[in-house]
Amino acid sequence: MNTQAPVINDAHRGPGIREQDLQPQERFEDELILHLERDQFVAETSRPVPRATLSARATAGLWALRVFVVLVSLMVIYTFIEQLN
Amino acid sequence: MATTEATAAPGLLLPPLTPEDTARSQDRSRVHRARRHSRRWQLLWLLVGPGILAMLGENDGPSMIAYASDGAQYGLGFFVPFIPVLFAMAFICQEMCMRVGAVTHRGYGELVLQRYGRVWGWFGAGDLTLTNLVTLVAEFISIRVGLAYFHLGSGVAVALGLALVGFTLSGGRYWRWERIVLGMALFNGLFLVAAILVKPHVGAIAGSFDFSPFPGGSFNTLLLLLASTIGATVTPWMIFFQQSASADKGMTPRDVKHGRYDTAAGAILAAIFGVGALIAGAVLLGHGGSGIEGFAGAGFPEALRHVAGGAVGTVFALGLIEAGGVAILTISASTAYAAGECVGVSHSFNSSPRNAAVFYAANAGIALLAATVILIPGAPLLSIALNANVLATVLLPVSLVFMVMLANDRGLMGAWANKRSTNVIGITVIAFVGLCGAAYGIDSFLQTIHLIGS
Repeated sequence: MNTQAPVINDAHRGPGIREQDLQPQERFEDELILHLERDQFVAETSRPVPRATLSARATAGLWALRVFVVLVSLMVIYTFIEQLN
Repeated sequence: MATTEATAAPGLLLPPLTPEDTARSQDRSRVHRARRHSRRWQLLWLLVGPGILAMLGENDGPSMIAYASDGAQYGLGFFVPFIPVLFAMAFICQEMCMRVGAVTHRGYGELVLQRYGRVWGWFGAGDLTLTNLVTLVAEFISIRVGLAYFHLGSGVAVALGLALVGFTLSGGRYWRWERIVLGMALFNGLFLVAAILVKPHVGAIAGSFDFSPFPGGSFNTLLLLLASTIGATVTPWMIFFQQSASADKGMTPRDVKHGRYDTAAGAILAAIFGVGALIAGAVLLGHGGSGIEGFAGAGFPEALRHVAGGAVGTVFALGLIEAGGVAILTISASTAYAAGECVGVSHSFNSSPRNAAVFYAANAGIALLAATVILIPGAPLLSIALNANVLATVLLPVSLVFMVMLANDRGLMGAWANKRSTNVIGITVIAFVGLCGAAYGIDSFLQTIHLIGS
């Protein structure tokens, strides 16, 4: 039977610290860390996701939709201004 | 990204905790405890929020006025079943947002920007800012209309709206913000109370579920009704908001099932309350209701008071104040999330204003800007309010296309990517929304330049 306290490796404290040696604040932080997924940490989410590669057809389709939406939006805005007049 | 059970474990090298991590982790610890002890209702209570807020936030002032206008002009009929159908469509879109937020822990704006490039990210943020500003002006007008019933003016409406924003931002915790706004949003049920108070004929309501009578009038009027009613149900800000709020809440793939419950509950409640506003408005049919031009004066509450009694008018006026107030909070929040995500700085209610200055400044700033507009003497408030939903509908398809692309991205979503059936329904929704918005925009423009008759 293993009677040793669990060892917690921690980036800001260094490896090999026994659980009973932790200060109350450090225990509190360790408990909190256990409740987050690794990729939920701000340090992880601050790292950008890799860029996706879009095919030429997909890019053309997106630009076509973008231009179309801008044109229709301009029509709505023009109509709105005309209604004001 | 797609990690199913990646909970941090002893022995792993972990980054240092920021105050934002600490706050989120405290919320997550309660979710873990509820799950460990199989407390199902507590777990549901802890995980609901973004879905209900997105849906009830969209039951905003212009939307409720649009539903009441539908009722006042056409009575019970096509729009009674059409509103639930639209909220079913909204559920399809919002479920994707929740799922992407829970799996990637990132907001919509930052994912589009990082995954597909800055141009698309900034286009999306630009669309959002434009539609949000116009819609926020309409929300302040909605509060003003509600307060006018109680003989209070624009200054009070502005003060109330800004005080709400200031109060909810003061806590420094997502959980606090969410629970306050959730508590307020439940008062959207006032529209159901108004519907009950007008004592509608239950048989007539049930009979209208065959989508008849179909609204008559000109083609352009029908398109306007469709576009503004769709714009009252699915809008760009909801997409930004629910994905970012799901990530900010700390949802994970394990919570997706409860996220679906949350989104479904929001859609059902919003549909019921929306139909409530329509039923209340329908008592004005034949009493000059069709002549009420939306936000003109204190139109609907006053008209309801004359036709159905003071209680109905009062409840409807209070409902408009609530609808405007909640929407100001959720729409401002979506702007703040988008600003923080696109600039690449902290964007969380769990961060302090010092650590997330852009987020808090954008949140308060856009509300302040909208409030300033309604204080401008002679500003075309009525036209702005009526066109807010239409503009949102026109700009929506681009946001929806990127939403579907993100939800299909196996590099991000892994096993949580869309199924084929979800894609078929999602693409159908995009096509329908795009066609209605575009048809109205083009038809109105051609009439304005006199190329076709009305």
